[in-house]
Amino acid sequence: MNGTIEKVVIVGGGTAGWLAACSLAAARPGLDVTLIEAPDIPTIGVGEGTWPTLRATLAAIGLDEAGFLTACDASFKQGSRFDGWVDGGADDRYFHPFTSPPDAPVGELLAAWREDAPDLSFAAAMTPQVALCDRHLAPRQRAMPAYQGAANYAYHLDAGKLAALLTRHATQRLGVRHLADHVVDVLGDGEGGIAAVRTREHGDIAAGLFVDCTGHAALLIGRHLGVEWIDRGNVLFNDRALAAQVPVAPGSPIASQTIATAHAAGWIWDIGLPGRRGIGCVYASRFLDDEAAEAVLRSHIAAVLPDAPDVAVRKLSFPTGHRARFWQGNCVAVGLSAGFIEPLESSAIVLIELSLRALAENFPASRAAMAIHAERFNTLFRYRWDRVVEFLKLHYALSRRDEPYWRAQRDPAHVPQRLTDLLALWRDQPPSAWDFPQIDEIFSAASHQYILYGMGFPLPEGLAVSDRARAAIAASRQRARSLTAGLPANRDYLDALHAETGARAAAMEGY
Amino acid sequence: MTRHVPLDKTAHRDLRVRTEASAALGDAVMATLTVPNEFRNVQGHFPILFRREPGQGDFVALALFGFENGKNLFLDGARWDARYRPWSLAIQPFLIGRPESGDGPGQVHIDLGHPRIAEGGEGMRVFDEDGRATPFLDAIAERLGALDAGFRASGDFFAALRDHELLEPFTLEVPLDDGSKHSLVGYHIIDEAKLQALDAVTLGRLHAAGHLMPIFMAIASLSQFSALVARKNRARHG
Repeated sequence: MNGTIEKVVIVGGGTAGWLAACSLAAARPGLDVTLIEAPDIPTIGVGEGTWPTLRATLAAIGLDEAGFLTACDASFKQGSRFDGWVDGGADDRYFHPFTSPPDAPVGELLAAWREDAPDLSFAAAMTPQVALCDRHLAPRQRAMPAYQGAANYAYHLDAGKLAALLTRHATQRLGVRHLADHVVDVLGDGEGGIAAVRTREHGDIAAGLFVDCTGHAALLIGRHLGVEWIDRGNVLFNDRALAAQVPVAPGSPIASQTIATAHAAGWIWDIGLPGRRGIGCVYASRFLDDEAAEAVLRSHIAAVLPDAPDVAVRKLSFPTGHRARFWQGNCVAVGLSAGFIEPLESSAIVLIELSLRALAENFPASRAAMAIHAERFNTLFRYRWDRVVEFLKLHYALSRRDEPYWRAQRDPAHVPQRLTDLLALWRDQPPSAWDFPQIDEIFSAASHQYILYGMGFPLPEGLAVSDRARAAIAASRQRARSLTAGLPANRDYLDALHAETGARAAAMEGY
Repeated sequence: MTRHVPLDKTAHRDLRVRTEASAALGDAVMATLTVPNEFRNVQGHFPILFRREPGQGDFVALALFGFENGKNLFLDGARWDARYRPWSLAIQPFLIGRPESGDGPGQVHIDLGHPRIAEGGEGMRVFDEDGRATPFLDAIAERLGALDAGFRASGDFFAALRDHELLEPFTLEVPLDDGSKHSLVGYHIIDEAKLQALDAVTLGRLHAAGHLMPIFMAIASLSQFSALVARKNRARHG
């Protein structure tokens, strides 16, 4: 069993499975990659938010941006807007944009914001991106080189269509073998790992490394290897979601950001794609029953899209938590099998990407090295899940809403100690790299600043303003004017792109 | 078809202008006009030549992009392959307009028949939603002003060159890698021998009038010819 690792078997398709197949095949051309996917599992077309990391991921696996945008009904995402999270008042909203504040000490920036730009929100003073979002503008012009923008951006996309695009790319371009089959059993290797998976049609499939992308079922890491699940529902209460897709009128504006609107016992997502908006209600069943949640969702849809037709609503139940270990023996869990957290900051796909990058760049040459890699991987990803849990909790901990759900969210018994400590420190000094010292922190100090000061957290005392911070804020205002003059609306950009792609496809058919 | 109108923040509130480089947008030109106050910017990128327009007495200065009509060696598909774009190209589709009397302060006009007028929602806005000039229009207006000042000063500049016989006809045989030759005829350059022979008093007068620097900038620009020939050879091979 100490031979070199030449073959990887990925069990499960979906975004996680096919991103794993593409990433590993593209990063390690000599590797034999097989993906086994149950043939009759319907793909679920949920609109999803992503992180800016996805641009580099797609470029690295060799996908063209324009082709990706059209194939996945994608739109641009430049951040998140949180409506009603502070007190639920009429003008209660703040931004968490993807572009970081200017490169100056944040204490100086806070002082310059207070003195020079009190008319602007913290995010609007720090980056011109908010001005783009307010006007539904795209982060780039079509003439710009692919995957580059005038402001940092990610995508909103149809996850089912992304999986289909990745399937085609993996099998047609990257040499991935695709088995449409059911895994009926898992065969151990006697050393705490997996020797092979038994399929219904193709017999036993052996490999040196297995990637578990079987979703909540966690067929390999959970059911076979018995790695325990750590429940985090004590910190993050939401355990249900109702998802709807609402068609939109041609030519209607496409939002530049995910909108998360707080309600009495959770929040509502709103993700704009060219043809529809994905709108869903996330809630804690302890505080809100399904019928009441559906009423909340439907009244929200009626408020934001008064002419919308009656749409079906799909109910999802989810546990909040993650595995105690993500790499056990020769099996790595990627995606829902590793863990699930409510999609408040779209952490699902970015955690998949980070897992795959860690795996591809630290690929075990042999079984002998595997335990060392596993140890490092488990330490890193436990750190990351903990940070995600705390960052999401921050959104709730700073709220002043008064409903029982929100009061319970702020109960110190349900706030992780580390976050309590950080909040105490942040009364005296702003969030900085001292609080988030890792390379590739999933949520940087800047993200924490946007939540903190977006939600009205008091500024530390004794901040001194500086010329460089003042100049940076003035430059940001001027850049907002330039960018709003030069960038097209999302709708205009995407309609022009689809028209061009449609024309090209029609021309190709003529041959 | 050209359609010049004064720019108006109400009528042109939602107007957008295409700023990318493209043959279809008017960039497939062998040369573009330049003015003495721009020579300093131009000389590091393009040769500057002088030409007397047929039927007109006055000379004009041109920044050269290629050797054949309609061939711009700095246009690479939708990319402007140079670090500088001369004012007379950069300001399109805008121009300076003047009242009928021909005098008075210039106004920003726009050619609504120009291909750079954007059709859809892409391109640079000229006015923002409050009707204020965008930074794009501010930059255009600045270049228009510089270009206008340059044209107004050109008469004196060329008169000085004529007075001192500082222009000489110039024919360039451009030898190409494959043995063929391109001829560039009908142009003028600065006559360096005559320039060298000028006495100190004359040089002092030219300097005081602001003509000396553009003269030397035009001479310096001729060193861009070798780079332009190299481009021509690459274009043939490409």
